[in-house]
Amino acid sequence: MVNLTAMTDILNDSQDSPEQGGKGAISAGRASMVPPFSPVLLGGLLLAPIPNVVLRPLLRAVMASVTKQHPGMFERLDSHADTIFLIDPVDLPIRFLLKADAEQPKLTIAREADVSRATAAIHGSLLALIDLLEGRVDGDALFFSRRLLIEGDTEAVVALRNAVDGEEIDIIDDILVRAGPLARPARRAAKVALRLARRAGADMAMLQDALLQPAMERIETQTAAVDHLHQSMARSGSSRRRRASKTPAVQG
Amino acid sequence: MATTGAKAKPETILGDLELICPAGTPAALRAAVDAGAEAVYLGFRDETNARNFPGLNFSPEELADGLEYAHARYCMVFVAINTFPRAGAPEAWHRAIDCAADLGVDAVILADIGILDYAARQHPDLRLHLSVQASASNAEAIRFYHEAFGVRRVVLPRVLTVEDIAELNSQIPVETEVFAFGGMCPMAEGRCLLSSYVTGKSPNITGVCSPASHVRYEERGSEMVSRLGDFTINIFQQSDAAGYPTLCKGRFVADGRASYLFEAPTSLNVLPLLPELMAAGVSALKIEGRQRGRAYTAQVVAAFRAAIDACRRGEPIPEMPQLADVTEGQRETSGAYRRAWR
Repeated sequence: MVNLTAMTDILNDSQDSPEQGGKGAISAGRASMVPPFSPVLLGGLLLAPIPNVVLRPLLRAVMASVTKQHPGMFERLDSHADTIFLIDPVDLPIRFLLKADAEQPKLTIAREADVSRATAAIHGSLLALIDLLEGRVDGDALFFSRRLLIEGDTEAVVALRNAVDGEEIDIIDDILVRAGPLARPARRAAKVALRLARRAGADMAMLQDALLQPAMERIETQTAAVDHLHQSMARSGSSRRRRASKTPAVQG
Repeated sequence: MATTGAKAKPETILGDLELICPAGTPAALRAAVDAGAEAVYLGFRDETNARNFPGLNFSPEELADGLEYAHARYCMVFVAINTFPRAGAPEAWHRAIDCAADLGVDAVILADIGILDYAARQHPDLRLHLSVQASASNAEAIRFYHEAFGVRRVVLPRVLTVEDIAELNSQIPVETEVFAFGGMCPMAEGRCLLSSYVTGKSPNITGVCSPASHVRYEERGSEMVSRLGDFTINIFQQSDAAGYPTLCKGRFVADGRASYLFEAPTSLNVLPLLPELMAAGVSALKIEGRQRGRAYTAQVVAAFRAAIDACRRGEPIPEMPQLADVTEGQRETSGAYRRAWR
């Protein structure tokens, strides 16, 4: 007998109406995604003390520049103009809120109190999010490999992903387009820095894997043993129930 | 096939496998063309196609630009108008066909017999392909579509073995196109009601299977729960590769054991079967994935381009380990082409 809702029952899920299906809650704290051991994670520590007043105008300039370069980006998001996206680079100490209103798109730093305003959230490492923004990596592939996590209004996230992917964004070029004579050397320096960060990130991930491998193997062995025990207990429980059901009741 | 709008290639090789590639956005179209597609297929931004997803697809203006880009590079453009109109409301589908024909697309991919009839009568020169959504898998059905509407190519459902396809090709007067890579549909294509049952929205009529509006992901400690409407589709541990939140790929509990009852999250990959498919008389290989990003399109198309070219030269098919990164559930299968279970 197949029980399609059995997993739901096991988890004691509340039964939502189908219409509410795509509007799940967003984690109040940082999502459970473990930040990768990367140069961004280390560099992010330097970012923490910078006050928001300094970052705010910078973000405004970035958004204005990207919007100017890609005016069609928000056209594909027309029915999600009111959605507030939480963009969460899990290896940085800051998160962002994006309002994808074609008339007045806005990118701001998310304070803890602001997070509840978000109706959709995208979590991933900074480099993964930049790769996604620039169409260098497929969003579904990131999701399948669990390097991208989404919460809240799934439809809005899918729409944003598709809109961004269709735009051929180069974030460094887009930001530096108004830097005048400094644009070329700044672009070169930024691209080298990004390339080095990617390479260092891959090396550090390898180092992390090597350090964690013995512990992971031990955990996997123990998990398999626990699973085996659970299955044995479940089997013996059901055969006891079968035997009990076949035993005639004692007439008193 | 003879191209209608695209420039003729300098060298045409008879018996070639055409590589038909997905484009969800104009950027993906350019990526597919640049990576070596012989044809790109796409849909309008409405319910007339089976990938009616938010933020995806083409406006008529974008299609016109895409046609210009593709045709200048010897690449054809097919338009999928492959959903089924609701009774008494075929206007959007008629408009889509008129628009595609007026813009000079190389073929339209249709499923509904009323829409096929309209296209055949109104645009007798328009090349018609039968969508997989029509689920035509035997010679009699395919001959009917050819004789009644002049269909010249059929996209075969993903239920046939390579031997079945070879046998079919010997019995029908039309070209066959088969799926080569990407998401699997284990149900009777064009007739699946699972999404409609759970969400009220249908892949066959509204063009959305398991619409994102009804999908929800939840973090529960180290687990990720995917849900579609009322149903928990899967619970992924941190080390599990994830899949699409469709009911047919859900993990359900039966007899106390959680397992994939219909199909595990996995992607089709026919690379090792290319020589057999060529020998079976297949005309075209279709890459699934209009909903995927342009990085997927570029990567998969380039891999298949290299593999087909190697086959043409009689060389062994190169290993393509990079494709594992873009597969659903990080697993791949040869599907029904080799029925290992039979």
